[in-house]
Formats: sequence, structure tokens, C-alpha cells
Amino acid sequence: MAEDINRDPLAGAGALWEALLALLPRTKEELKLDLSEKVERSVVMLLQEATELFYGGRRNECLQTSEAVLDYSWEKLNTGPWQDVDKDWRRVYAFGCLLKAACLCEASEDATTVAAALKVCDMGLLMGAAILGDILIKVAAILQTHLLSRKRPAQGPTQEQPSTKKARNEHVSIPDMKSERTVPRLHCPSLQYFRKHFLVPERPVILEGVADHWPCMKKWSLEYIQEVAGCRTVPVEVGSRYTDEEWSQTLMTVNEFISKYIVDEPRDVGYLAQHQLFDQIPELKQDISIPDYCCLGDGEEDEITINAWFGPQGTVSPLHQDPQQNLLVQVIGRKYIRLYSPQESEALYPHDTHLLHNTSQVGVRGTQCDMADSPPPHPVSGDQVGDLCFPQVDVEHPDLEKFPQFAEAPFLSCILSPGEVLFIPVKYWHYVRALDLSFSVSFWWS
Amino acid sequence: MAEELPGAWFGFGFCGFGQALGSGRARRVLSPEPLRAPGAGLDVYRVSASWSYTAFVSRGGRLELAGAAGGAAGGCRDAWASEALLVLLRAGPGPEPGAELQAWAPGSALRGEPLWVHTVEAEAEGDDGPGGKPQAGPLPLLPCARAYVSPRPPFYRPLAPGLRARRLELGAEHALLLDEAGQVFSWGGGRHGQLGHGTLEAELEPRPLEALQGLPMAEVAAGGWHSVSVSETGDVYIWGWNESGQLALPTRSLAEDGKTVAGEAAGLHEGGPDVKSTAGGEDGAPTPFIAVQPFPALLDLPRGSEAVKASCGSRHTAVVTRTGELYTWGWGKYGQLGHKDTSSWDRPCRVEYFVERQLQVRAVSCGPWNTYAYAVEQEKS
Repeated sequence: MAEDINRDPLAGAGALWEALLALLPRTKEELKLDLSEKVERSVVMLLQEATELFYGGRRNECLQTSEAVLDYSWEKLNTGPWQDVDKDWRRVYAFGCLLKAACLCEASEDATTVAAALKVCDMGLLMGAAILGDILIKVAAILQTHLLSRKRPAQGPTQEQPSTKKARNEHVSIPDMKSERTVPRLHCPSLQYFRKHFLVPERPVILEGVADHWPCMKKWSLEYIQEVAGCRTVPVEVGSRYTDEEWSQTLMTVNEFISKYIVDEPRDVGYLAQHQLFDQIPELKQDISIPDYCCLGDGEEDEITINAWFGPQGTVSPLHQDPQQNLLVQVIGRKYIRLYSPQESEALYPHDTHLLHNTSQVGVRGTQCDMADSPPPHPVSGDQVGDLCFPQVDVEHPDLEKFPQFAEAPFLSCILSPGEVLFIPVKYWHYVRALDLSFSVSFWWS
Repeated sequence: MAEELPGAWFGFGFCGFGQALGSGRARRVLSPEPLRAPGAGLDVYRVSASWSYTAFVSRGGRLELAGAAGGAAGGCRDAWASEALLVLLRAGPGPEPGAELQAWAPGSALRGEPLWVHTVEAEAEGDDGPGGKPQAGPLPLLPCARAYVSPRPPFYRPLAPGLRARRLELGAEHALLLDEAGQVFSWGGGRHGQLGHGTLEAELEPRPLEALQGLPMAEVAAGGWHSVSVSETGDVYIWGWNESGQLALPTRSLAEDGKTVAGEAAGLHEGGPDVKSTAGGEDGAPTPFIAVQPFPALLDLPRGSEAVKASCGSRHTAVVTRTGELYTWGWGKYGQLGHKDTSSWDRPCRVEYFVERQLQVRAVSCGPWNTYAYAVEQEKS
């Protein structure tokens, strides 16, 4: 091993580097790229060169080469609709991120560098596809641990709870629901009962007693989220609602999101919405479960999409429909939700549209999306909001002159509180407004 | 026409595959450098650059490749380089004046057989020199102007019979066509506004740009996700994606403090910070950033200059003016703007190299991440 006269090219300075090395294949021959012919020969050459440079200990050159791989694959990720991007291009991108993050950490183990490397990993997780047995998740975990272990001595107590920092509740408007039909509630129905009376007839229902003992209900707080996920980069939607012109998506760490959009009197509305946070940070996944009712569908368990929805009081998801069944679990805070049956679609005046946003990156609500703010920029599926159907009417402030039928459209509504689970049948129109600082977890299944 | 001294080609930008730029040792060249062999020494009149290699065609019909794809061939009238295909227009096999379109795998080094061959009918006589009748423009438009070549199958694509194409350019997802009357058409993907019809919708068939109707255009150029057209009177119209300032409109990514992961951690970039942008609103009002410009915007070049030629890379734009200056803007990370650094710009900047040496730029041809410019020595009066 290290008996050679010559220094091992991969010998590094610190413990972090050793830990990272242990995750990577030992030699460049063992690092299997496994890329299909869809990936152009020139890029494969470049990526192979990058791995050679890496195992040859030529860090700076490896960084430069990896950067070119990242920039080129970024262009591929931005060509055509996101769902049509070949998975191998995303894997190329992930390889680039892996090498870049590793090279950064070989140079230095200070907090700034490690945070930068972690961001690169997160970009690989957000935009790339799994490589080498989900190695990016493992690398990210090591980097995160390293960052947290360095931070603890310097930091004092973490931020105060939001309630002491902002007096928000005086501004929230709790809807007057006296005249509204409410969503029925059930306590722990059997699978058969649920299927027969709600799943099959496609009727919404709130399930109580199903998720209220999940660890997240007790554990999750701003402080805990910052601890577990604070330094991780996530996509954030900025703007009151995604039908607005000023709406945009951007990337930032969870800490930045919390400090900019949750505490300290935020200027704009920011929403960490529709993000598969639990794939990115497996530790959080331990705090939730998959509701049994999801197994009533045809799909496999690993096909269930789990999304996090985390934001301040006041976030709004305008009326829209999803192509799968949805179980929405409320963890922190309350949400006002209104539901319209697909049979009422006409009265909601939907139309196919591609919304034009005067912003740098607009993702597609309803499909996997990511956004980028710093290089490599994110391959958001364009500046349009895909092929979504948008009811033009504003649910809580409808223009009844323009949309007269809307007044007569029947609906169900509820205030969903922590511990409760709302079943939103497939294609059921739903509108959501957060009445408090809120964290919800949605399960999309078929 | 005044006599011009012979000129030379210069290149700058990405050369990570050894594409004949500069000394050949660096991965990128930040300032124009005369071409190395094989480009040097040839009387090159066409440069077609793909990402990993460049094709040079000389007036004598010689083709030379540099970069990840190598090789040379004779009897070439035109070449079009892409990562998937190298397309050549060669003199026909027999004595007839027709020509042959050949598509080669770039890695083949032009040995063996082409992937496919298509005989092109003879077109009217004329050279694309100053005296002759202007031919239909270079590949990917075919000389007959009734079809064009695509890097994705189907490779041979006929154009609608009513279209009298003069020039055709392909972006990552779209196509631009300039017809004999100076009208611009676009089609393909439109998610970044690159079609210029005011929406983000795709178009299956060539659709004329209404915003430019009545303004005869002389040139069109397509970048990865943006489009440029130059009018006969020298005005520049530009539309599409502006994420790196390639439309010369204010872009958010350049205005924010340039804290990029690469910049701060790796210290890769020689030269200044990564961001140089237009001034923010002086009165403190937030600058309106443009990410997507879905219909043509008129661009003012500095000093009231008139444009004569334009070419676009993936995310940058280059324009030649009537007085022989070269302006570049957009993504600059690999030196493709030629401003001696790796900054991106969201406004037109003159490439001073040519001014300093009293060289007049006459033509420009951009690869995805680099730029080739043809310049002649200025006449001494």
C-alpha cells in the first residue's frame, strides 16, 4: 500500500478526505461510467479524462475538466422538456458533481469549502440521476456531518421560535366557513372502508388518528429542521402565487430559506414547495411513514412520490389538479383547503396555457423540476409552466363578473391541522392557503 | 470595391479538445489568437465549430478537422460540424456539376464510408464571393435551398415548396430561416422564447415573425436557445433566453453578487470576478431582469454602429459591424467573448484585440463555446 517511495496520488490531508475516499471506488478502473450511446463520445472521453486526473491526484485539472462536463451536460438537461431528458445525461451531470465535490474537499476542509462541496452534491441530487449506488447521498451526508461538527462550538443557541420573532397571526385571515360544506372526517377507517366509500367513488375525506403519532409530529420544529437540513440546498418558489408574473424559482440552503422567508418579516413570499426532500435527506424520512392507504393503489411502494411543502403563513397554491391520488399529511401549522370536483371543471374556467414569467427560471408545477441560481444553473424545464390547466379564477377573491358560474360551483373545504391527513382524489381541484407557518408532506400514488 | 489585404482567422474560447486555438496547451483561450495548424496556412473561407472539434474548409476545397475529431479531405465545398454528425458538401463523383452531401461520424477521421450520402442537384452558377449571385447560404441549408440537414434523424429535411430560403440556422431546439425577401421564419421548441412569436409555444412548421415583417433582414443567427437577426440597414434584433445575458438585456444571474460555487471554492478563474453587468437602477429602483424575451427586441450597439454579420454560440452572441469591429456578449466562462477574462456580459462589448492591432473584422463564426473571427489589416490611407 503506502510502502511506495512515491507518494500515493490520492493521499490527502484530513479525515474528511479519508472518509470520502472510502466511499469512492478505489481505482479508476473500478469506477464504471456505464453510459449508453445517447451520450456523445466526446463527453465520455472528457469524463474518463476527469476520472483519470482524479485518480492521478491532479486535482486542479480534474476540477477544470469536471467543470466542462458539468457545463455541457447542463446544456443537455436544458434541451427539450425535462421529462424527455435522457437519464444518462443526468448521470453524466451527477458524475461531474461527484468529482467536483471530491476535488474541492481534497484541497481544503474549511467550512466554506465544505459548504460549497455540499451545494455541488445537492445540485447533483436535484438535477442528476443516481450513480454508483446513490453515492451522492452518502457523500452529502458525510459533508453535512463535517459541517455540523465544525459549527457547533461556535454557534450559540439556535434561532428563537418564530412566534416570538414575528406577530403574524393578527394579519392572517381565517376564512369564515360557516356557509361552507366541510370535508367529512373519519377516525382510522379500515382499508376496505376507505376504498369503498372514498377511493373508488373519488371523494375527499380527512383521516384522523392515522399520522398523529408519527415522530415528525413531535420532533419537527424550525430548530430541528435547521439542524437536520440547514446547510442543504433546496428549490424555493418566490412570489405570491405561481400564476403571478413576478413568480420565480431559485435555489438556496434551508437555513437561508428560513432566515429570508420565514423569520424576520420577509418582504416576499417564499415557499419550499413540491420538493422530494426525503430523497435528498434520508434522515428526515425516518420521521415519517407511508400511510397504509397508499397500498390500495396499483403502483409499487417505490413509485410513491413524497414531497415536502414548507413555508410561512400566507403561501398559496392556486386551484389546480394532480394526475395521481394524494394523501396530504399536515405536520406543522394549519392550512385552509378548498376542493372542487372534476365534474365542476367548467365552472372553474380552466385553460391550457404556458405562462410567461419574466424571471430566470420557472419550474413546472406538477412535474419534477429544479432550478438554478448559480453555476451550474439548473435545468429547469423551461420558463413556461408546462402543460398545466389553470383555472383563471382566484378562489378566495373571485371576479364574478368574469367568472359568473364560479359562484354556483359546489365545493368542500376544511382547515387541516397537525396530525391530520387529507385524501385528495386524483384530478380533484384543490386550492391551499397556509394559515400559519406550515409543513406538509404529500404522498402521490396511483 | 477597395482592395483588401488578405486576412487571417483568429479564435478564442473553449479548446479543451485541442481545437487549433492558441498554443494548444490551454483548455481555453481568453483573447483572440491566430489559428494554429491545421487552420493556419489554409485559405480558410468556412469555419464550422462543434463543441469538441472544428472543421475548416479552404477555397481550394480542402477540409481539415481539429479537436476530438481529426482528419482531412479534398473536394469539399462546405462543412457543417455537430457532435453527432459531420456533414460535408463535396463535388459530385462524376463530371456533372452536381454535388454530394455526406454525413460522417466525427470519430471516423473521414476514413471508411460516410454514414449516408445524398446527391444534391446542381444549382445556378455563382460563387458566394462578392461579385456573383448570392447562393443559398451555408450548411445546414443545402445549395438547392429546398432542404436542410439536421443532426437528429431524419437527417435530410425538405422545406415547404413555397419557402425560398436564403439562410438557415439551427439552435438546440429551434430553427431560423431567412428567405429571399428578407423575411425571418422560425419553428421548433419555443420554451425559452427563441421563436420570437411572443409565446412559449412550439411551432411545427416555419412561421414568419410578424414583428419583423416589413423590415428586410440580411442575416440570421441561432444560438442554443436564442436568436438574432440583422436588418439590411444594420439593426440588430434579438430574442430568446437571456440567462447569461446573451440578449444584451439585464439578467439576474449577473446582477447578484457573483458568488458562484466554482468561483469561490476552486479559484479556477483567472482574471476578475465572474460578473459584470449593466448598472443597476441608479435611483435604487429594482432593475427589471429579463430571463426570456419572447419577441424581437431592437438592440443598440455602442457608438451607433451598424451590424453586418452575426453568429451565436450556445449562450453568447457575436456581431461584426460595418466598420470592422467585433462585439460580443453573453456567457464568457471559457473566454468565448474574447475580453481577456472569463466574465459574462449582458451588454455588447467590443473585442479590443482587433482595434489595438488595427485589424478589421469581416466575418465571425461561433462554436458552442468559442468564437472564430476573420480579420484583415486596415488600409493605410
